[in-house]
Amino acid sequence: MRDITLGQYYPGNSVLHRADPRAKLVCAILYIAAVFMCRSALAFIVIIAATAVSIALSGIPLRVLLRSMKSLIFIIIFTAFINLFLTTSGELLFRFYFIKIYSKGIINTIVMILRITLLIAGSGVFLTYTTTPIALTDGLEQLLAPLRKLRLPVHEFSMMMTIALRFIPTLVEETDKIMNAQKARGADFGTGSLLSRARALLPILIPLFIAAFRRADELAIAMECRCYHGGEGRTRMNVLHLRTPDFAIMAFCVILCIAAALINTYIPIFTLIG
Amino acid sequence: MSGIRLDGVSYVYSAGMPYEKKALDNISVEFEDGKMTGIIGHTGSGKSTLVQLLNGLLKPTSGKIYLGGTDIWAEPKKIRSVRFRVGLVMQYPEYQLFDETVRSDIAFGPRNMGLSDAEIKERVVEAARFAGLDESLLDKSPFELSGGQKRRAAIAGVMAMRPEVLVLDEPAAGLDPAGRESVLEGIRRYGRENKATVILVSHSMEDMAEYCDNIVVLSRGQLYLSGKTSDVFRHWEMLTKVGLGVPMITRVAAELRRLGVPMDDDIYTVSGAVANIAAIMAGKEGGSNA
Repeated sequence: MRDITLGQYYPGNSVLHRADPRAKLVCAILYIAAVFMCRSALAFIVIIAATAVSIALSGIPLRVLLRSMKSLIFIIIFTAFINLFLTTSGELLFRFYFIKIYSKGIINTIVMILRITLLIAGSGVFLTYTTTPIALTDGLEQLLAPLRKLRLPVHEFSMMMTIALRFIPTLVEETDKIMNAQKARGADFGTGSLLSRARALLPILIPLFIAAFRRADELAIAMECRCYHGGEGRTRMNVLHLRTPDFAIMAFCVILCIAAALINTYIPIFTLIG
Repeated sequence: MSGIRLDGVSYVYSAGMPYEKKALDNISVEFEDGKMTGIIGHTGSGKSTLVQLLNGLLKPTSGKIYLGGTDIWAEPKKIRSVRFRVGLVMQYPEYQLFDETVRSDIAFGPRNMGLSDAEIKERVVEAARFAGLDESLLDKSPFELSGGQKRRAAIAGVMAMRPEVLVLDEPAAGLDPAGRESVLEGIRRYGRENKATVILVSHSMEDMAEYCDNIVVLSRGQLYLSGKTSDVFRHWEMLTKVGLGVPMITRVAAELRRLGVPMDDDIYTVSGAVANIAAIMAGKEGGSNA
């Protein structure tokens, strides 16, 4: 339980760690766009190289990144199989009863695996590994601030998100404590039929819910004591500033997008998908 | 006899991660059978880690823990039976209550042990008595109780398993003075009547002096001092050095000694001080009369 890391933030002090969360959000969106624009092998090579540079910049060990892939391996394999068996264009390469594999299917599979891996690595490097969840919601709130003109409660949403994120570790810790207390009284969570296992969760869930409600209550009172009244006229302690490195990484991602588009149109060699 | 003993135990949290933290470093200590041992130490000195190692909630990174001569991790599948023999009351245990009535909540442990209904019933009443919980409260919902009563119910929940080693992490924290005394008194009675070894974590030097036979002092995950209560409190300069204190009365006695009153150097309870001063006064009167 203790090892659950939400958002997988990996402490560090790299350029990407220090960058403005808004810049990183923009980068992540541009990067994802670039990955989806890739249609040729050359474009993929460019984007893989760019990803490698970003990983090096972020200072995140490769094994940490690979570990996050491990939890998604099922989705990757599933997508790969769907693409492999359900694509029915190109040359028929292999046939075994109802299983037919086409050349196009193999290419699609490779492209899909590349895309998913790149997406995980890229969004990890730009966002989840280098940005704390709190900084992320802060950045999101400010990026979405113009929507306030449309009377969308941007601040309230981001406050809710911040509070939710803030309390996940607390609740995990609380769950851990309650589980330990019940284990100390001989509770057994791992064995028995499904029903008895579900029943074994009650001694954890009931105290946990009670604790969550109690905390919510206390938090509401504490916020009110400090005169919280929503986002209007509220200033912030950590004012975000875009600095040169932030513009540099955003420019890098814009160039990446343009490069991917240009390669598709002007250097159409090794085109993988239409 | 229970014979609980740690042999070169170390524990590291999140080993291999960037935020890895060594909580305990090569601790070897034996807890005297049938006696009350106090564990003291600064916040973050590893006390809570230590108590969770004792009943196998945590597994030592290295070293062994022996209970009655056998390594508790010799058969990891049987760790549950260790938890019945080493009862642990965690910090703020009132948050673990969950059942519909106090009675069935206290019975949770014994039920998990697979005891008969009659046996469970008897143990619940007995445990409630040790914890100082009135029998009329047993059929209420635990959530109707006051904070202090909830604490007692939670302590009774562990006592009902009749563990031969009872470990309590700050059982009296946040209680009013009268509640404190009655909870600790109940724990002492439990230990005496069941011939159980009691291990008590506390920040209150007064409670330690009053209830514990032996004291183990931890500092930054290492064993700093251990021995009889009077011997440990004699080293009060050493205790102050790691941010701990000695009972107020010990300091009063030291100050009196500095002023020339011939007080003993092992005063750590008020009653001990009273006896000592009375003896000195009697000696003086005897002297002046002669």
